[in-house]
Amino acid sequence: MSDAIRYWLLLHYKLPAQPSASRVYIWRKLKRLGAVLWLDAVWVLPDTPHTREQFQWLSAEIIELKGEATTWLAHSLSPEQEAQLMRQFTDQVDATYQKLMAQLKKRNPDLAAVSRQYQQTKQADYFQSALGRQVREQLVSRRGDKQS
Amino acid sequence: MKWLTWENIAVDRMACAWLIRHYIDPKAEFLFVPSGSKDWPKDATPFDIPGTKLSHHRGHCTFSTLLREYKLKDAMLQRIAEIVDEADIVHDITVEPVAPGLDFICRGIRQTSTDDHEALERGLLIYDALYAQLKVTPH
Repeated sequence: MSDAIRYWLLLHYKLPAQPSASRVYIWRKLKRLGAVLWLDAVWVLPDTPHTREQFQWLSAEIIELKGEATTWLAHSLSPEQEAQLMRQFTDQVDATYQKLMAQLKKRNPDLAAVSRQYQQTKQADYFQSALGRQVREQLVSRRGDKQS
Repeated sequence: MKWLTWENIAVDRMACAWLIRHYIDPKAEFLFVPSGSKDWPKDATPFDIPGTKLSHHRGHCTFSTLLREYKLKDAMLQRIAEIVDEADIVHDITVEPVAPGLDFICRGIRQTSTDDHEALERGLLIYDALYAQLKVTPH
């Protein structure tokens, strides 16, 4: 797996300044997908049939909103750059996982809310964060001890 | 009628094929062209290809578009559309617990099928099951 060439999807787009709601709408979708905004220039996702389709549709939506979008399939020429990019994906989900961990340390955490957020975050956890596994273990172990 | 879409079908296209077969065109013949292709026979109706009429519109899936275009009013089909919408398209607010599982299973069906024709046939069973279960337990 680690020796295989990794492919990345790049999305570069532009939307009219108004209405700003469209810009927020697209930005929220990208965040929800767990895409990384690389160097403030281009949105990146690891390439899978699923992410490919998501970027294709997102581009179609951007065009429907009177914007412009291009999607690219790319591989990095530098293993270090690639490692850095992968770290950024993990950092992104870890930021949420950390908040969930903090919630779980409270006296009476809202376990249902934490589990919902965990599930959402998990969908954008492309490189299986270790912290995510810890959140999961915490949640599972607390299923039965709500009253204690 | 000939219906055409890009290769590697998943949750939305399997739903569309099921809908076409059961409610629009029982004799439907499905064709697949490589992803990204914009070149197809004139007598085929494209679906779920960005930029065509029968595709996503305003953040809704192609299944929803088919319901609208073919004026299918069945309430259960509307429910399936809501679920497929959430399974196929990324949303920051989600209200369909069935959706992520449905998406995952459909991706798995494509993985275990030798080609899109086989995946499509197998997908029919999934949507028969979804329809039947929604009838028993409105979800």
